[in-house]
Amino acid sequence: MFTYSLQGLELTADVSGPLEVEENETTARSAVYQVLGAFFAASPADAADGERWSKELAEAATLLPFAFEVGSVAVPNGTSSDDHAAEHDRLLGGSALLGGAARDDRDAEIASVRREYEYFGLASSDEAPRPADHLATELDFLQYLCFREAATPSPRLVASFRRAQRDFLVNHVLDWVPGFVAATLAAGAGQPLAWALERLDAFLAADHDYVVARLGA
Amino acid sequence: MHSEDVIGLPRSEERASEDTYRSRWTWESVGWGTHCVDCYPGNCPYRVYSSGDRVVREEPSGTFDTVEEGVPDANPMGCNKGACWSQQLYDGDRLLHPMRRVGERGSGEWERISWDEALTQIADSMLDAIAEGGPQSIVREGTPEVAAVFPTDRFFNVFGGRTLDLHPSFNDFSIGLHETFGKWNPASSADDWFHSELILIWHMNPAFTRIPFYHYMLEARYHGAEIVSISPDLNASHMHADYHVPISSGDDAALGLAMVQVILEEGIADTTFIREQTDLPCLVRTDTRRYLRASDVRGGGLARDDQLFHWDPEQGLVEADRGNLLLHGREVALSGSYEVTLANGQTVTVEPVLAMLERQLQEHYTPELSQAITGVHPDMVRMIARKAATSRTNIMLGWNSCKYYHGDLIERAMCLLLAVTGNWGKQGTGIRSWMIGMADGMFTLMVKTLPGVEGAEQLLAAQEAGTAMMRAADPSITTEEIAVRELSRTLARVQLGEEGTMGMRGSPPAFWWYWQGNYRERWNNPEWGDTSLPRTFDEYFEEAIANGWWTGLDEPRPEDPPHVLIECGGNMLRRTRGGATQLGPNLWDRLDLIVSIDFRLNFTGLNSDIVLPAAQHYEKVNFHIPTSHTMRLTLSDRNVTPAGEAKPEWDIYRLLLETFARRAAERGVTEYGNGTGATFTPADMADRYTLNGYLTGEDQVADEIIRDSVYVGTLPEGTDLARMREVGFERFIGWGTSPYALAQASPIEMEKTHSPFRNHVELGDPFPTYSRRAQFFIDHPWWTEAGEDLPVHKPNPRSGGNQPLRMTSGHNRWSIHSMNQANPVILQTHRGEPLVEISVEDARARGVADDDLIRVWNDITSFRARAKVSPGVRPGQIVSYNGWDGHQYADWKGANEIEAGMVKWIAFAGGYGHINYSMSEWQPIPVDRGVPCDFELDPTPTNDGR
Repeated sequence: MFTYSLQGLELTADVSGPLEVEENETTARSAVYQVLGAFFAASPADAADGERWSKELAEAATLLPFAFEVGSVAVPNGTSSDDHAAEHDRLLGGSALLGGAARDDRDAEIASVRREYEYFGLASSDEAPRPADHLATELDFLQYLCFREAATPSPRLVASFRRAQRDFLVNHVLDWVPGFVAATLAAGAGQPLAWALERLDAFLAADHDYVVARLGA
Repeated sequence: MHSEDVIGLPRSEERASEDTYRSRWTWESVGWGTHCVDCYPGNCPYRVYSSGDRVVREEPSGTFDTVEEGVPDANPMGCNKGACWSQQLYDGDRLLHPMRRVGERGSGEWERISWDEALTQIADSMLDAIAEGGPQSIVREGTPEVAAVFPTDRFFNVFGGRTLDLHPSFNDFSIGLHETFGKWNPASSADDWFHSELILIWHMNPAFTRIPFYHYMLEARYHGAEIVSISPDLNASHMHADYHVPISSGDDAALGLAMVQVILEEGIADTTFIREQTDLPCLVRTDTRRYLRASDVRGGGLARDDQLFHWDPEQGLVEADRGNLLLHGREVALSGSYEVTLANGQTVTVEPVLAMLERQLQEHYTPELSQAITGVHPDMVRMIARKAATSRTNIMLGWNSCKYYHGDLIERAMCLLLAVTGNWGKQGTGIRSWMIGMADGMFTLMVKTLPGVEGAEQLLAAQEAGTAMMRAADPSITTEEIAVRELSRTLARVQLGEEGTMGMRGSPPAFWWYWQGNYRERWNNPEWGDTSLPRTFDEYFEEAIANGWWTGLDEPRPEDPPHVLIECGGNMLRRTRGGATQLGPNLWDRLDLIVSIDFRLNFTGLNSDIVLPAAQHYEKVNFHIPTSHTMRLTLSDRNVTPAGEAKPEWDIYRLLLETFARRAAERGVTEYGNGTGATFTPADMADRYTLNGYLTGEDQVADEIIRDSVYVGTLPEGTDLARMREVGFERFIGWGTSPYALAQASPIEMEKTHSPFRNHVELGDPFPTYSRRAQFFIDHPWWTEAGEDLPVHKPNPRSGGNQPLRMTSGHNRWSIHSMNQANPVILQTHRGEPLVEISVEDARARGVADDDLIRVWNDITSFRARAKVSPGVRPGQIVSYNGWDGHQYADWKGANEIEAGMVKWIAFAGGYGHINYSMSEWQPIPVDRGVPCDFELDPTPTNDGR
């Protein structure tokens, strides 16, 4: 069984339907978003455990309906936790992980993504405060939409959740993440960050194509 | 060359002059605006220019796209009112602060108070009212304005107040269309008029009232169409018509029936259309003058009472299919008489409705006979009838006919003309009323209990479950009929209380007027009603109650008086037929508190206890009424901060609920009921109103409306408030689930104009009537008793007295109702004060000259206004255009004071298919056309106010 696990967001309303569902192609997509979101929300120390992340991502991706190379990650010997922390701060510190920072008007972007979360029954979590435009929050949202697509018995809601995934990818995530990934890699990201960035970039592109194709069908 | 060389001004002075204009036409921001208070169909997209948090001007955007190749686009979409709307934002009657009266009601003495003081007093009065008579003793009438209506609905739902069905209050219910089609609201897109070959402007004056759309008629004319203007007076729409038919006021049914007589007699009727679309082939028993029913033929038990029959020349007696109208070439009988053996062994003679109709027309409505009624020459009747029979004919109907006592008969005759000429369900044909729909998010927002997509889904799922249940009970029923009749009827009687948000009690206002406004007295005046009826008004009324036709709706009873009236966006004293003369002593004086929420101090506000300033267009997020006339959702955005202390209605109600909860707690009120078992807890009402804080403000509310509409499938994917703010409007892509949208019964084709009823013609979808057809024979016992089972002409009753003149009305050119009557720019474009138009002959006979102050009177009372002596007005008629507010007249007595507010007595009927109440549909409506009156030179000229 697959259970979604929100970190930066929380439910604001009674949501009909189950809280866990049998694993399938759609929960696999949700699971990948969950792992990727967790990676970019993790502390530098946690994020440094490349073996763990690659294993979790591989497990999550088992039932994916499209080809997705998880690959492996090899963290160079001798990299200290301080090195990881410094590297993390250098590449992901400041506003690097904030989608709104990549736009002219961050406030407008935050309002926009917040409204998306709200309409689908979510709000920023009080227990795990994180900016609404943080990469991990946005991936959290996609995780939730995929889970709801898998869990709802209503064909109308299924279509709505799919459209929401496509629109959120196009209007928000894909609008800034590819640039962020390219810039961070160009800035010399080491492992496992480079691996995670490449997996993120590849997965977003593949998932977008998949969702668009499903909607077209 | 410099300008001083030409005009000789020193350059500095010229610059000062230029700078004045530069300053005036300088702006800092541009947004979208439109004018949503029942300027119907409206939806004109305007660009609004603001500077220093103040609107400086507006102009039509001209941005609507072309829909169908070869058909003109709608641009520029605008009118004189819209072009200077912003002037009203800062005009003298603008409400800027909460105010409380300090003198008698209507004394004009006010004090400015804080929002907290105002809301606390209202909350206390509400609590007093609840203690005295339950929450249902807090009443509202309302407005069609989108930004006001859904917060008001939600507010009343949350605390359990009583809401009056608004439709009869403004009386645009095309009752004859309802009697014929089971729905009153076909509304083609305005560009569809271009496809017409013959346009009958009939009970309408589009040159005044449809300024943004009137060009389609002229373009149709350049495209080859002919325009016929049918009206007693020579109004402005006559100017561009090919023919004017000068008909005596209110006698239009006779004209319509005479045209039908010609068409049938000359054999130029569309018999295939008649057979498939109408009840005219259905068989009627000659012994009872009632339909032959399955219960007659097969006995009672399981036989449907509403299963009717055709006569097939080959098969004999056949059931008239209730599931599909198409006959696939079968020519069921339209004439002749036939013998049928009933279940009880009796043999009876039956004949098609059309055979009865033809006899009646021949006996009473030949063109020559009708001339005695209408004054229209028979040659004119024949000419137009022949044109209608051979053309794509479109009846441009306003909401004038429905305001006559026998307006239903007039409209039934119009529909009959279209039926025999095959003129609906095709582009450029049909008849029009109004509709609101498609922006389904507006409706979900009134009642949703969960935020976001889950709340929308919950409502849709519930509606689908109800639909499935009804379809299981009757597999032949269509989704349209379920939506139009069954679901809305069920909803009208549902009061879910705290478990849902449908806590308010809905009431057809006829009972409000009867019990609480003492209209009982007027309606029972035997000389003011239909004198051809054999019984008194109260005999019909009491029979309707006894039959249970209004059970649960016939409120508020005398023992359940109202205590608080909250009028939001409406103007009850101006609008109500009978006005303050009737409502004042009977209702107004008994109310403990009257609250008016509006952007301006109108007549009702002037007679209220507390007035609350509401934000106006350009100051709040709003949409125009979504309608198939334009097929677009149009945004009016918050371009500037509301003037003074004004607030959007959404915020006003939220604050009121918070204050209500505070005062309830301080007074120890934790819970109350409404007498039907539902309970309400003040402490959580604000949370329920906002869905626990989810709907924090007007942006969220507007976005929710759009997103829910996308979810239902009426707006394109990806549409949200941000998108609307970019483009200003969005074209609808689907009908959604609302009754009036489904009643269009046509596909939406994105590159084609919209013409209603195509599904009836092309697919054979049945109509939501008793017979499942366009129904011209109504064998409800009251119709039989009234002699109206078939369309007939009846003279207009003398509701108000036996005076020789008849007052008619219509919308004027200068205002949408009373909204713009005080606009400083508009006032300069006409005489600027209340007037009535009178004929040269009637003026001369009474010694009245143009611009004299006259007293117009009947048995009820009188009012005074300027005389506009016009050669366009027919002798015997006076025209009092709608919209002047009561306080603009001398003595604060407007034209509505001499209106009796009579309702058609048999409109209290029920228990017969579509002759049954459902929200905004079948019910009694007051009339105000053809009011008996006379006038004289004002005997008190020193009091003329000049």
